[in-house]
Amino acid sequence: MPTIKIDGREIPFESGDTIIRAAHRAGIDIPHYCWHPGLSVAANCRMCLVEVLPPPGRPAMSLDILRWDAAKQDYVPAAKPKLQPACQMACASGMEVLSDGSDHVSEARSAVQELLLLNHPVDCPICDQAGECRLQDYWLEHQRKGKRMHQEPVHKPKAVTFGPTIVYDAERCIVCTRCIRVCNELAQDPVLSVRERGNLGEITVSPGRELDHNYTLMTEHVCPVGALTSRDFRFKARVWFLRSARTICQGCATGCNAYLDYDPRNNTPYRHRPRENMAVNTYWMCDDGMLSYRHAVDGRLLTALVGNDDASIEDALAAAKEQLGGHADDPSRVAIVLSAQHSNEDNFALYHLATTYLGATDFFVSGRPLGQGDDILISEDKNPNTRGAVQIAAVTPPRPVAELLQGIASGQYAYVVALGSDLEVDAGEAQRALSRLKGVVTIAAHEGPLAKAARVALPACSWAEAEGTYVNRKGLAQRSERALLPHGDARPAWELIGRLGRTLGYETGWKTLAELRRAMPPGAVAGAGAPAAVLGAAPPAHTAAATAVADGSRVEPKKTEATA
Amino acid sequence: MAKATPSNPWTKPAGRPVVGKPVPRPVRSADVQAYIPEIVKGLGITMRHFFKNTKEMVLGQKPDPVLHSLEPGVTTISYPEEKRPYPERFRGIHRLTLRDDNSPRCVACLCCSTACPAQCIAIEPAEYPEGDRRQGYERYPSSFVIDELRCVFCGYCVEACPVDAIRMDTGLHAVPYDSREQFIYRRDLLMSLSDREGSRLTANRRHEPGDPTHPGLSREAADH
Repeated sequence: MPTIKIDGREIPFESGDTIIRAAHRAGIDIPHYCWHPGLSVAANCRMCLVEVLPPPGRPAMSLDILRWDAAKQDYVPAAKPKLQPACQMACASGMEVLSDGSDHVSEARSAVQELLLLNHPVDCPICDQAGECRLQDYWLEHQRKGKRMHQEPVHKPKAVTFGPTIVYDAERCIVCTRCIRVCNELAQDPVLSVRERGNLGEITVSPGRELDHNYTLMTEHVCPVGALTSRDFRFKARVWFLRSARTICQGCATGCNAYLDYDPRNNTPYRHRPRENMAVNTYWMCDDGMLSYRHAVDGRLLTALVGNDDASIEDALAAAKEQLGGHADDPSRVAIVLSAQHSNEDNFALYHLATTYLGATDFFVSGRPLGQGDDILISEDKNPNTRGAVQIAAVTPPRPVAELLQGIASGQYAYVVALGSDLEVDAGEAQRALSRLKGVVTIAAHEGPLAKAARVALPACSWAEAEGTYVNRKGLAQRSERALLPHGDARPAWELIGRLGRTLGYETGWKTLAELRRAMPPGAVAGAGAPAAVLGAAPPAHTAAATAVADGSRVEPKKTEATA
Repeated sequence: MAKATPSNPWTKPAGRPVVGKPVPRPVRSADVQAYIPEIVKGLGITMRHFFKNTKEMVLGQKPDPVLHSLEPGVTTISYPEEKRPYPERFRGIHRLTLRDDNSPRCVACLCCSTACPAQCIAIEPAEYPEGDRRQGYERYPSSFVIDELRCVFCGYCVEACPVDAIRMDTGLHAVPYDSREQFIYRRDLLMSLSDREGSRLTANRRHEPGDPTHPGLSREAADH
């Protein structure tokens, strides 16, 4: 593989790589604002300027300048090399690049940084980007000087509403055009553009339009400064108080990798951020997924319910035993509902209890109904683990809930043990059908039709409160970390299932998550200690995101965080 | 020849008695032994101070306590009635400064609670209601609580505040209360405190949205 040298360190590059991309892959940080690995090259911020040494035996391209000589108290003629933007300069074999090692580059970075901060309002205390702002970071790394301009900075519009999700502050904007490129290349909806030039430049929305496509929050995510802020996160928290957990987005079957940012002091999630995984979501997430973090705490079932009255978990388990009394006489009258909303661990616990101890043979799978999808990331299946739930019960393939209702109508079932709270069928119809049964027990994280219809509902942890493995639509098993402590009385669903089994008099073997995972089939658990996840037959090329996003589709093994 | 074990310096040397340091005994003269004359001497000193203090109190001749405290000897200040003057930059109980329209200057940026080493500041930010001219620019503290029992009066919160909203120039020190709850200073109490001149504002003017100096004009209203 051909190589280039950056500051004397030899790094490989692939044909077509720019200097910054090769450096990024090798873990060398060249400061930049406008370049993003998933977007096309704009080369307008000039922060990534590097010195490219001439080939041996050739003179360097240099510029004649006047440099202030403090000793002579006058300007003296001097020369400096012509610097090149690393984001645009293609690598050539044997090229020698000076980045941190060149004084000219340091001077240029400092000057660029000073230029970008000339008209910046420096309202960091009331800016939501403070703490994760490139302007702050690079000021500290490359400038470290006070402001020399004493004139009033240019004033531009502030707090402009771009759409239902985004607010724009033109004074903080450095017009790097990342947001414009996200709209053009990722969302395929060119709704943003630059207006005016120079220090008057600002981003505007097309006349008569709003920034309202499905990837608007990505414009905020890529904004290196505080110009674009999300209305959802705006003014809610200071980022340095937040901690991040590596989670899997629960919005649909794509299984985008995300960071869930939460405040451990009040146990509250604040936002989702996409986590780079070239095999799944590259660098992006959709708006619905970004906002789906709210479901970790919203609409939760926080106490056990017995006949829709609050009860302790012990009382609810006793009531569940009563409900399921007599199930052992005729196991074929027990129907088990797995959940596409719950992790492999939870589904396996219920499946294991049902097959090993209850002797059930009829499995169903519940979940949210189908929704809108697109060719970029969003899947029509709005459940994060449909494939996982089906794989767990592959021996007795689970059927849709509609067939359960038919079975109930024909009097085939008397007992239902269900996981999850959502149903894809009409809630009223399901409730009527389930009310005819002898015993209905659900383990649910949220208040939903299934939890309402059950006589006994046990409060399960939501996905953010428990570790779990989720299998996305391509068959990639991915692990989601625990972020929050359980709210209310909630406990992990697998633990509740284990306790339910022990209450019914069965010796369910696992009491900890590690024990449960050892009992699970290999491939159903992702992450450390587990065998490699089953990567289904689906091609790794992520359909449209790859083609849409200029050259970000290349799989970068070093950066890929696939837990598989 | 085997080496002799070195003696342990912490144990008593064998065979020799312990010799202690001679301590001078108090004089056992007749007047000390009699006890009464010493009592009378001590009472004399007490009475001298008693009459001096009484005279100064009656005639209002008490010297300045700060200067007096520099002199050798003990100074008594009759505390609640009489207070030691605090230096100009004394860090007392906090106050929240106000804008001209009596709303808090605080923009709930949480810099003070971040800087606080005692973690005694708890702020809940809220957004100004729709239609307010500050809506979208700033937020305000819907709740601002300082636990004065936890506070170490280091003044970092004042240093950290970017908008001069929290100050420790009230000249008050934490008063002994009879319950912990009373040490929890909430927003309205903090806003009601004033500096030593009685002002609840600060000398530094604020640039409000809408003022010509405030960043955030439309380009049409600016001169370029």
